[in-house]
Amino acid sequence: MSDRVIETPHRRVEDGIVATDVSHGFDDTGVLDEISLGLERGEILAVIGPSGTGKTTLLELLAAFYPPNEGEIRMNGGDVWSQSERERLAARRRIGMVFQEPNLFDTTVRRNVSYGLHVRRDWRSRLREWGTRLFGEGTSLPVTEALETVGLADVATQTVRSLSGGEAQRVAFARALAYDPDVLLLDEPTSDLDPRNTAVIEDAIGTARNQGIGVAVATHDMHQAERLADRVAVMLDGSLIEVGPTERVFSDPDDPRARRFIDGELVYTAGEKGD
Amino acid sequence: MVGAIVEFATLPLVEFPFESNYVRSIVYVSLYVSLTAVLLSTLVSLPVAMLVGFAEFPGRRLAIALINTGMGLPSVVVGLAVLFLVSNQGPLGTFDLVFTKEAMIMSQFVLATPVITGVSLAAVTGVDEGVRDASYALGGTRLDVALVTIKEARYGIATGVLAGLGRAISEVGSVLIVGGNIAGADGTAITRTLTTAIQLEARQGRFELALVLGAILLVLVLLVNAVVLRLGGGRI
Repeated sequence: MSDRVIETPHRRVEDGIVATDVSHGFDDTGVLDEISLGLERGEILAVIGPSGTGKTTLLELLAAFYPPNEGEIRMNGGDVWSQSERERLAARRRIGMVFQEPNLFDTTVRRNVSYGLHVRRDWRSRLREWGTRLFGEGTSLPVTEALETVGLADVATQTVRSLSGGEAQRVAFARALAYDPDVLLLDEPTSDLDPRNTAVIEDAIGTARNQGIGVAVATHDMHQAERLADRVAVMLDGSLIEVGPTERVFSDPDDPRARRFIDGELVYTAGEKGD
Repeated sequence: MVGAIVEFATLPLVEFPFESNYVRSIVYVSLYVSLTAVLLSTLVSLPVAMLVGFAEFPGRRLAIALINTGMGLPSVVVGLAVLFLVSNQGPLGTFDLVFTKEAMIMSQFVLATPVITGVSLAAVTGVDEGVRDASYALGGTRLDVALVTIKEARYGIATGVLAGLGRAISEVGSVLIVGGNIAGADGTAITRTLTTAIQLEARQGRFELALVLGAILLVLVLLVNAVVLRLGGGRI
């Protein structure tokens, strides 16, 4: 591991997320090995690496889906898994996440996009909301703005069943954006999309960064990483082998394996192809 | 509440061609007992289905086996067990529940709960894990994730409730044992349901009335089916 990789987590990350020496596995299989990585607000970090290298697991750990076997995930200056459940919930609610699949709820677009706002309300407000729905339902401003960001403000009242795959993913992005998170974690958000929908999502990612949101994008699309990211983290077999500014990582990576991956010579992880 | 709804629903039967008050009271008892039992079963079944479906605990497989076994419980055995519970010597003897609607509700609750739990369990565990992950990732608590799961599984759960209602309302053995098929001196049913009345009228050779009661039972089940189908937007 190069010095440049280690220096990242020791930087002060205001209102972002920092993973420090995180190792994790499922059953007896190790997936991540001593990952240290920080994500600041207002930057786009691309996490790249071959399929099966642990990118999704890393994002799920950053989103506090489950505690790491070793190491810490710090948000708001504290280890989220040392915090009370209430504090952890508050920390989680500063994060938005979009998955490879849209994973939309079987209801209207606006109810999907307003879900994050809905769960942040107390129960009295929620009951009042359910009551007012009986007499008609409007689209709130944050929901409209989030849908406008992905160019879908006109489908707010439609059910998600009427959407194409690309539109569904754009709705999933708007859903994560609607409650104004500090951090967005995107797991291969455009891998199943056509170029037009990919362009819309990439524009929306740029808009989010400009609004001060820290965005981590796991992708195996080198061109996308180069187009979008301020920094790039290269993962291989569960380890971070390179972290740095996009231009340097793509032009002059320290680690020869990162070079091979960027050049398209390293596609599979060691576990998959005995590389 | 259930009583008031049932009373309202059976109003059109006032003009029934023969023994209208008798028939109306039978329909009332049937609906009151079965709807109350199914309502209580649903309130128990959904949390149990969520717990068994998603929590890890010792004996989880045994719990699933018990639920599946419960779906096939013989109703007369349930009737006997409930009769023992509510009889003077039983643990609930002090409540004086023998031959009451409450005892019938208890027996139908026991019969309907495994059906609703089993079908709901299949429905909630069939919800895409990605949807549950999305609820959590968007800031949902465990309760929010559970609510989303139930909402996504609503059509399957509705099917379970319907199956439970079908099991309860068409059941004869246990309500006969714990209810006693009693009608009052004025001819109105006290613990007589559509099924037990059909059995009685057929035995007494009043086939016309038995057939009419059977038709009412069928219409009720069809109505419930239609309502659930409508709520599900035709997706069940």
